[in-house]
Amino acid sequence: MTTISTIGNDRVAGILLRRSTLVSALVVVAALFAVESLGSRILVSLLTQAAIVSLLALGVGVLTRISGLVSFGHAAPFGLGAYGAAWALSGGSALPPEAGLIVVVPLVAAVFFLVGLVVSRLEGIGFSMLTLALGQAVFVAVSKFRGLTGGADGVVVNLPRRLFGLSSDTVQSPYGMLVLSVTAIGLLYVELRLFELSHLGRLAVAIRENEERTRFLGYGVRALKAAVFALSAAVAALGGVLYALYQGFVSPEILHWSFSGSALIMAILGGSSALWGPIAGAFSFFFLREGLNELTSHWLAVLGAMLIVVTVAWPTGLSGGVETLLRRLAGAAKRRDTQ
Amino acid sequence: MLINALNGLVYGSLLFVLSSGLVLVYGLRRVVNFAHGALYMLGAYIGYSIAIRFGFAAGVVAAALALGLVGVALDLAIFRLLSARNPLVTVIVTFGVMLILEDFVRSVWGTQNYAIDPPQALSGVVQIGGAPFPIYRLFVVAASGVMAATLAGWLRWGRTGLFVRAASHDPSVAAMCGVRTAVIGPMVVGLGAAFAGVAGIVAAPFLSLNPSMGSEILVLSFVVSVIGGLGSFPGAFASAMLLGQVQAFGTVYTPELASLLPFLLMALVLVFRPQGIAGSRA
Repeated sequence: MTTISTIGNDRVAGILLRRSTLVSALVVVAALFAVESLGSRILVSLLTQAAIVSLLALGVGVLTRISGLVSFGHAAPFGLGAYGAAWALSGGSALPPEAGLIVVVPLVAAVFFLVGLVVSRLEGIGFSMLTLALGQAVFVAVSKFRGLTGGADGVVVNLPRRLFGLSSDTVQSPYGMLVLSVTAIGLLYVELRLFELSHLGRLAVAIRENEERTRFLGYGVRALKAAVFALSAAVAALGGVLYALYQGFVSPEILHWSFSGSALIMAILGGSSALWGPIAGAFSFFFLREGLNELTSHWLAVLGAMLIVVTVAWPTGLSGGVETLLRRLAGAAKRRDTQ
Repeated sequence: MLINALNGLVYGSLLFVLSSGLVLVYGLRRVVNFAHGALYMLGAYIGYSIAIRFGFAAGVVAAALALGLVGVALDLAIFRLLSARNPLVTVIVTFGVMLILEDFVRSVWGTQNYAIDPPQALSGVVQIGGAPFPIYRLFVVAASGVMAATLAGWLRWGRTGLFVRAASHDPSVAAMCGVRTAVIGPMVVGLGAAFAGVAGIVAAPFLSLNPSMGSEILVLSFVVSVIGGLGSFPGAFASAMLLGQVQAFGTVYTPELASLLPFLLMALVLVFRPQGIAGSRA
């Protein structure tokens, strides 16, 4: 990284003012209002869970999209974010709760930057195997150190009455958390989009396409690869913090590799051709599971079959499908105009 | 002391038999089978069901045959069809296969634990260095040794083994020289799966059967592969043996840390030798 360019204000404004961005933001806000007045409690709580976990899926998806790496271990940063939040609020930390909460995500990101320096030496299948093993290592460690983490019993999150001016009832009510997490997703989405368009973001993509050539161009690649890994971990960790605040309870279950696997499935279902793919994947995952639970007890098998079909036959996933559809519609509209 | 080392040897040989299936498939298809742990589990359950009716030996044979067939099907339906695609696609597909197999095991056998006794002839203990040691565990070491030696000998001196090595080295040139690579694929994957199945039923008498046994062993066999270097038999052997000892002595001397030691070992290897013990920098 010889040069670090900052993004001009005009580009920020450009993204924020693009018509599609404005329209999507309006649709999301309208949907939130509609859900508040029309949605059942079950729907709201389902949406809230999906929104929180979609951050984990987004973390996995960002790594796949930018670095082309498939992680089977992203439950680790999610879970560490959740445990970090529980610790920050436990009174056991030196920092006041709110300051503690703020440092959790950067702390997890810093740890995963160091991990990234090592694991990003492997690529492809080796990386996937390694993330699975490391994720499981964190699971085992957290389950073992009972004194610090409560072991398999988990820890109760000691939520103060007020947090950043919000009452704890708001944070733990499904609708309150839904608004909070959707806001977080929105802000994060803009930020990630800016990163993708920045010099560093494009350099990261260049590394994915041809690492050796990028090195020959005179760029240091290792730190940037680790940084993208850390970024994806930070996104997942933020999800973990929200999870801890909402559930009020954290147990090692959220560190188990099957949770990483689910997140990966969400990211694949959503596809990586658009940044919002994994988010859409997470919401579809939760709705599918809810719908199928009534029909069959073979959710795992359905999930496996779905994963195979999507991977083989429909690699661009939901986001790819929607983008193709939009392009077709735009093309049809253009043809109609010229006639 | 000696007993610990022996226990480590038992566990290490089991890990090696399992990992050699992974290595075999990786060598030919350049793909890591994430369903390998599920195959091990399936072998244990199928073997268990046959063994309680027709005896232990029948259970082992049934597990080997059934899993061999599953392996052949896996190669024909997945590995060969996807061989032109990015290996990661195949990895994700095998992950899907794993979920399906896990669901299958859960719905056929339920989620409870099963235990099975070792066969009559192999039950009982022997005195080793003044301490009792189950005969069955010695049998596990012997059986794994025979399996590993047969595989190595077959690959090294057998005519078909030569073809397998040729096809692993360069499938298209091997095919041009008249090696029927279309037959080699199902054979190798079937063999790898059968190894996993046999490992499953052989391990059943001293590890209990449950639906999460597959993923637990999968993670460990990945640790073996990462430490040993992907796709290397000698590497897998060395790291499986090392891991077996680490596990055995760890359980005795640092019971708290024992289950973390394999991962610590893996982290150390990664920092200092990312290509693994026997891996070459490709």
